Amino acid sequence: MKKLSVIGALVLLVLLLAKCQKAAQFPADKYDERLSGGDATVFDITSHSFGNMFPGLSGYDAEVHSLGDAAFSKIFVTAPAPINPGLGTIFNNNSCISCHHNDGIGLPTAGESNSSLLVRISIPGTDAHGGPLAAPGYGLQLQDKAVFGKTPECKVNIAYNEVVYNFPDGESYALRAPTYTLSNLYTALSAGYMLSPRLAPPMYGLGLLEAIPESTIVAMADPNDSNGDGIKGHANYVWDVATQSRKLGRFGWKANTASLLTQVAAAYNQDIGITNKIFPVENSFGQSQYDGLKDDPELADSTLNAVRFYAATLAVPARRDVTDATNKRGELLFKQGKCESCHRQTLTTGINVAFKSVSNQVIHPYTDMLVHDMGPGLADNRPDFLAGGQEWRTAPLWGLGLFEKVNYPGYYLHDGRARSITEAIMWHGGEAESSKVFFSTLSKVDRDAMLSFLKSL
Amino acid sequence: MKNTLLGLSCIAAVALSSCGKDKTPVQNTTVDEQEVITQFVNVVGNPNYADIQVKATALNTAIVAFLATPTDANLTAARVAWKSARQPWEQAEGYLFGPVEDNYYDPTMDSWPLNRTDVDALIGSSDAITLTSVDALDGFSKGFHGIEYIIFGPGGTRKAADITARQKDYLKYTSESLLNTTTTLRDSWLVKPADYANEIINAGKGSTAFKTRKDLFVTIATQMAAICEEVGTGKMAEPFTERDSTKDESSYSHNTTTDFINNVQGVLNVYTATYNGAKGTTSLSALVASKNAALDTKIKTQIQTALSAMALITPTFEKAIYDNRDKISNSQTALATLQATLEGDLITFIQTNIKD
Repeated sequence: MKKLSVIGALVLLVLLLAKCQKAAQFPADKYDERLSGGDATVFDITSHSFGNMFPGLSGYDAEVHSLGDAAFSKIFVTAPAPINPGLGTIFNNNSCISCHHNDGIGLPTAGESNSSLLVRISIPGTDAHGGPLAAPGYGLQLQDKAVFGKTPECKVNIAYNEVVYNFPDGESYALRAPTYTLSNLYTALSAGYMLSPRLAPPMYGLGLLEAIPESTIVAMADPNDSNGDGIKGHANYVWDVATQSRKLGRFGWKANTASLLTQVAAAYNQDIGITNKIFPVENSFGQSQYDGLKDDPELADSTLNAVRFYAATLAVPARRDVTDATNKRGELLFKQGKCESCHRQTLTTGINVAFKSVSNQVIHPYTDMLVHDMGPGLADNRPDFLAGGQEWRTAPLWGLGLFEKVNYPGYYLHDGRARSITEAIMWHGGEAESSKVFFSTLSKVDRDAMLSFLKSL
Repeated sequence: MKNTLLGLSCIAAVALSSCGKDKTPVQNTTVDEQEVITQFVNVVGNPNYADIQVKATALNTAIVAFLATPTDANLTAARVAWKSARQPWEQAEGYLFGPVEDNYYDPTMDSWPLNRTDVDALIGSSDAITLTSVDALDGFSKGFHGIEYIIFGPGGTRKAADITARQKDYLKYTSESLLNTTTTLRDSWLVKPADYANEIINAGKGSTAFKTRKDLFVTIATQMAAICEEVGTGKMAEPFTERDSTKDESSYSHNTTTDFINNVQGVLNVYTATYNGAKGTTSLSALVASKNAALDTKIKTQIQTALSAMALITPTFEKAIYDNRDKISNSQTALATLQATLEGDLITFIQTNIKD
């Protein structure tokens, strides 16, 4: 009897312990849905809220970040010059910040000094590494500006066709469908070329996205839709020039770049015409605009590394008004609409003993880092490694509500065609079709609640 | 010995606190936040943006006079007018938000460095130089520094007779283009109904830019801190650490130190609601003082310390890089201290005390 009660007590104890164990599966102590970037979150709602350094960096790291910050703002000029020489000869803009205004998303125009849109180009086929095939005489990106005395590759013309639609309840919204055409070509262009416009993306949180374990991302993929939910996200695997290897693509609107180092180095080379150790050859090499100067690489390795570090250590702005009843309602609807199938709220970064700021952080990026079919409306019809012509990477939604503050009035999607979050949602198609329909058939009050939630991100 | 020290430090503390007390402003019972905002707009923002346009007009007039009669005396007058036009502009950088940022007027007017190679190539070419063609140039090939390059020249020693006909064409239209931009900028602040001044005044009352007054005050404080950072760790640091005076912003005119001082003067203007001798009936300073007199004193003292430190950078920033380095590093320290106070204490104060 006694034995039984002892055993009984032990069983009870085990049960209790198990229960305790279960309790631990609830959000851990430090879980806080406001902390979009984990420890790398800042509470800032101003127009400079995308430009904050990670809190708590060491003095040395803070210094490198500041050097990167200064370099990010540096305006390059035509060589020879005492300061920042080497621009172009062909380029899209003259500094990082000229496109990434306030470290945010830019303006969807091309060829102006405040333009943030560039256009990628390729011809059918793939290169030796499975990537897009360069257009002869033009490469993989169109440089629509040039220093004095050189000819830009072309002029990019953007025309919008605006159509007004109605939600089922009668409220109207307008979508403007862009058409991109080229004029003033500096030389003949092969027939059958494909264009892909890309708007400068926001800069914050990139170090955290780089720290999400590949296994976590791949585990979210379901290319054959084996769970039957209609979502078929898959990873893009790309050629990483910095490491000369095939890697998981994380950055860019089609996840066509594997690492921040390659991203930053490619932007210097392709967007500004600044050669560096990863891309030491001028973007105009072999073309009539080539300067033939023996000044490559034009960027010091230390500057490249500092800018990479800067991009990796820009903190994510915290969520606002998380307990607001309307936002709570909107969040529930966001989940009911299955938006979270791709825009995943919570991920955890990997352990990184070398850099604790990004190590083991619970973050709320609202992305799965995978590419998805978004339908013909958004398609660029230009494959980029494993990302097809209709596929785009799930855009992270953290910080979304601050776009209009940081880059007034605020533009959305890969080419900035959407002028509001509503328009951005209504452009969704393909795998996201049913979520879009869910949103559009909500009552006005509920649609507004969902938008209010999205603006709290 | 220890006791003596303790006694001494007690006396010192008492003495210091009484010193502090003398300076402490009378504590207002309440300061109307709306009035602080209105005074900022009426006394600082509106007159400052109007002044930029007035001074740019005077600069253009001086340049037109020089082009008509290209004497050294007229060139000197144009240089004086250029420096005078810099002053309100640099002071407005103490609160760099709104149309000046959103509509890219800043890079259009004040890009740096100047793309000298391209400007020289343009001037050396046979391309037409017109207002339209200058308007179409990127910011780094025109603006304040484009004008500065022509009228001062490298080293600041250019003579009227050295300025070529093509340089004159470029000067004429660059000046006109700058004037037009300052007019647009002024109008974006002042001309109703879409005036940005109204957006500010209506913060928390239907303004789209500022949903709450707290938003506005945080933005103002953030920008005050941002310009301290830009001057101290941005503009001063590179030429200083690299010991290279060609990396200064206004090196042709040797106006660099004055530019920096005006930037911080802009911070003082915003904080105390003063501009060009006019003083508001209330200010952010008064608001802070009404609830935390010590913080108000600290901010005002630190602004003055930074201004005084920079005033010691002589004879020019370009020269001080080599032989007056401590003056520059002292300024950087003062600016960093001020920046930390604005980013830390002031923003915390706003977050705590401004409720709507």
